[in-house]
Amino acid sequence: MNRRIFMRNGALALFAAGIGGVPNFIAKAATAGNKFIKPFQKRKTLVCIFQRGAMDGLMAVSPYADPNLKMMRPTLYMSPAKTEGSMIDLDGYFALHPSLQAFARLFQNKQLAIEHGVGSPNPTRSHFDAQDFMESGTPFNKGTESGWLNRAIGLMGKPATPFSAVSITSALPRSFYGSNEALAISNLNDFAIQMRGNPLAGKVAANSFEALYDNTSSQLLQKTGKESFEAMKMLNVNNLKQYAPKAGIVYPNSALGNALKQIAVLIKMDVGLEVAFAESGGWDTHVNQGTINGILGRNLKDFSDSIAAFWEDIAAHQDEVTVMTMTEFGRTVHQNGTGGTDHGRASCLFVLGNDVQGGKVYHQIKSLAKEDLEDQRDLPVSTDFRSVFSAVANTHLNIHQNNILFPDWNGNDIPIMRYS
Amino acid sequence: MWQKKISRLLAFVGLMAVIHGFVYVHHTPPQKKFPYQEMGFTKEQAATYLLNRFTFGPRPGEVDAVAKEGIEHWFYRQLAGNQLDTAVDNQLQHLYIDASSLSLEEMVNTYPTNGEVVALARKMGVIEKGDTSISKPAYREKLKAFMQQQGFKPIAELEKQLIVQKIIRAAYSNNQLQEVLTDFWFNHFNVSLTKPNCAPYVLAYERDAIRPHILDNFDALLLATAQHPAMLTYLDNAGSVSNNNSIEAKRLERWAQTPNNNDKPFKKRASEGLNENYAREVMELHTMGVDGGYTQQDVTTLAKILTGWAIYPMFKNGPAYQQLEKTTPEQLEKRGFVIQNGFFFRPNKHDDSPKTFLGQYFPANGGYKEGITALEMLAHQPTTAKFISTALAKHFVSDTPSSALIQQMTQTFLKTNGSIKSVLITMVNSPEFWNPNNQIAKIKSPFELAISTIRATNAQVNMPYQIFYWCNKMGQKFYYYQAPTGFPDRADYWINTGSLLSRMNFGLAFASQKIPGITLNLPALNNNHEPESVDAALKIYSAILLPARDNTQNIQRIAALIHDADLNQKLAQAANQHNNNNYNNYISIPEMDTTVPTHTVQPLQTNNPPPSLSQVVGVIIGSPEFQRK
Repeated sequence: MNRRIFMRNGALALFAAGIGGVPNFIAKAATAGNKFIKPFQKRKTLVCIFQRGAMDGLMAVSPYADPNLKMMRPTLYMSPAKTEGSMIDLDGYFALHPSLQAFARLFQNKQLAIEHGVGSPNPTRSHFDAQDFMESGTPFNKGTESGWLNRAIGLMGKPATPFSAVSITSALPRSFYGSNEALAISNLNDFAIQMRGNPLAGKVAANSFEALYDNTSSQLLQKTGKESFEAMKMLNVNNLKQYAPKAGIVYPNSALGNALKQIAVLIKMDVGLEVAFAESGGWDTHVNQGTINGILGRNLKDFSDSIAAFWEDIAAHQDEVTVMTMTEFGRTVHQNGTGGTDHGRASCLFVLGNDVQGGKVYHQIKSLAKEDLEDQRDLPVSTDFRSVFSAVANTHLNIHQNNILFPDWNGNDIPIMRYS
Repeated sequence: MWQKKISRLLAFVGLMAVIHGFVYVHHTPPQKKFPYQEMGFTKEQAATYLLNRFTFGPRPGEVDAVAKEGIEHWFYRQLAGNQLDTAVDNQLQHLYIDASSLSLEEMVNTYPTNGEVVALARKMGVIEKGDTSISKPAYREKLKAFMQQQGFKPIAELEKQLIVQKIIRAAYSNNQLQEVLTDFWFNHFNVSLTKPNCAPYVLAYERDAIRPHILDNFDALLLATAQHPAMLTYLDNAGSVSNNNSIEAKRLERWAQTPNNNDKPFKKRASEGLNENYAREVMELHTMGVDGGYTQQDVTTLAKILTGWAIYPMFKNGPAYQQLEKTTPEQLEKRGFVIQNGFFFRPNKHDDSPKTFLGQYFPANGGYKEGITALEMLAHQPTTAKFISTALAKHFVSDTPSSALIQQMTQTFLKTNGSIKSVLITMVNSPEFWNPNNQIAKIKSPFELAISTIRATNAQVNMPYQIFYWCNKMGQKFYYYQAPTGFPDRADYWINTGSLLSRMNFGLAFASQKIPGITLNLPALNNNHEPESVDAALKIYSAILLPARDNTQNIQRIAALIHDADLNQKLAQAANQHNNNNYNNYISIPEMDTTVPTHTVQPLQTNNPPPSLSQVVGVIIGSPEFQRK
């Protein structure tokens, strides 16, 4: 019997013992206020954040010390100098955008690592194709049915709870496509049987449904029905408020902030979350991307403030959680004629966690001189995204089967994680 | 001599069979009965099964009507697909769903992509280059005004029209099989609104490439999808180009003969590169299947065969269109270009080298025709016949159709030049199709659930987009599936914890008319007779919503719960305990707070007001039985 199945059975036994003859649903409602039994301790959770639209890695984490950058970005260039945007110097070569202030402390604490020059070996500059490839994990094969995170879920064995893989999005992201169960939900409050304006009737309905699904001759519906009601009771939307962020922890009121807030609830509730997914948009800065307070600056602030709030919110669970960001490609080194940047190749990504060998910008960037650029215009991809994804997933989730996680790839992991 | 006579006789018999078959399909009622009786179906059960498979769900009374008409007659009538659809037309008109009447070219010029709008606005000086002072909202306002002035409409509107027309047709069309097959083939040849450059073409794709060919020969369907701008964009073939052709060679020759050409080095065409996406997927997903017996070499070769298959520029304000205006279509056709309804073959982008594809030799300079030949080859592969037959059987019979059934369908496919209609006729005439285990073997997709609910309750849908919103919640954001595989056509994809609760909530919200724009008349479904008890309501409405099924067990289960006084007591207690903390947040919908009393809830008595009719119907819709078909 593998560990997770054992836990699952254990959890069910506890359910049954605690509930007796009273319908589970009501028992839960009646005992609201008690934290649910925790059969899933020390579970590791990987939180992935997709920045859709292609973040300008050269402005987020700027190789400001390369003299070529200033030449190619006359109005967009920033540096730690007060007159040039007061970026936060990291290592004398790279500096953080001032809007990423919240990341500076995490970087100093060595919890945050940055990988620069990262991207896909497939040179497509189409958002759709590049996202598709990054999420399927197979940069040259469109037909791959599953997403890489779904395969990761599969490699962890039979999920112990319905909350093993949750995407806080309205539709299932490409990364989660596949045969292993994954949940997409935009609002955890929806995880209940609801009768608008008539909660009591809703409860009767919930009971009716539970009995009906228990009774059906379709095995799939019966099994999933049972799991759904279990899940509903585990989550118990009545209790969600108890897991609200402590005073002083403020999430930005944005799509990403709200998604991370809900992921934090799932982590704090100990419902067995292993892979979580959230996304943030607005990174396609072709026009007027601005410098300190422009479009990109505002996005970066929302991005880092959301992640920092999340990290503080789950302070008690930091050992179990790793956050990894990703974006489909980077942007041109040259600024364009409209104060923006166009689709390029490599960008950068962030990895946050106590398992992470942080405080360092990992990269193999040569220079931004024209001859070192791809097609003489773009920061070339010097790190395959899979070598980071693989390092993080394999180490943190303890899975080691790259032939399944990333078929057609046999590169090496970047030593971004602490190996235990 | 006698052999000749016999063969003539056979030919004559064959011809008569064809003629007879033709007449038979279109005019006279079919004589051959479907083998349902011998497989243990009653006529009503058979009618229900067919309605579940070939429509988006039976409407009240429809099972009896079809049984009375004769299920075979009904089926052939659906195959003909020529029923009047005035109600659909009227409703679409009423909802201002009119984009379907535009030609592809008009569509492209009415609903340009954001990229096209921005480029044009820049060109016309509406947006100043390098203007960094302008804020994002102001920039958007500027673009919006520009669009209005140009007579452009936002592309989101076109997407909405596509979604709404699908819902209305599926719910109300009399030609249900047409709608079911359109849904099936679209998913088989999936394209997606998630790809912005593809989005303007998707409505036309369904209308022009899918719909006319849903019962056609498979090769016609395949070719129509291959040449449609939506597919050419979605799987990138439009950008797959080569300079390996005589036109480019001549250009080089001309350059070489120019005196002093060292001053003017030869300029290669800017774009060059093979894109294998479509070539791979057309074999893996559309025709032969992943183990269909082709190699990577075949993929690359097919990509070369299809170089130059592109989109005819239609956006009148775009640079490509204006470039083309310098030449007449006749001049282009003379030079080997092919132009048809948005498709554009560009010989100057085609790889003219000799090739070998699936073992067949294609001599050099095959041009446009070699692409047609290659697709024809794919359409007629035995593995294609099997792959398509399997997909159809999985959709129309069960997730695990018997190999005997697939084999019969495959045989027909091969014998009839891939006639989809013939394959379906073989399917319904097979005893395998009528295996009683298949009767409710399929789980409805969220779309099928939503539409079958509308049909089963005779509901009026005045805000169809709300149905899309619920389908998305239940796990099917149709037209937005990103991968070329289309939605997986099997139960375990649709059924997971989150989606199942959403299905139940859909039932409750729908029946209580909490979904905006839904109008229901539940009493009318029972001729305005009010059921005398909850039990009676359960019984009557189960029979209306789930015709020809044994619902006794379900009814007993629910009835027991509803009558459980003890349970009601517990409910009230739980509620009371809860009122002190956050019971009111049980549902995060504001108006609820006013309806839940903050004082003590009285325990319900057995004879207290029973659940309303809408609750009963909501539970039936959310029940496992209603998820099955």
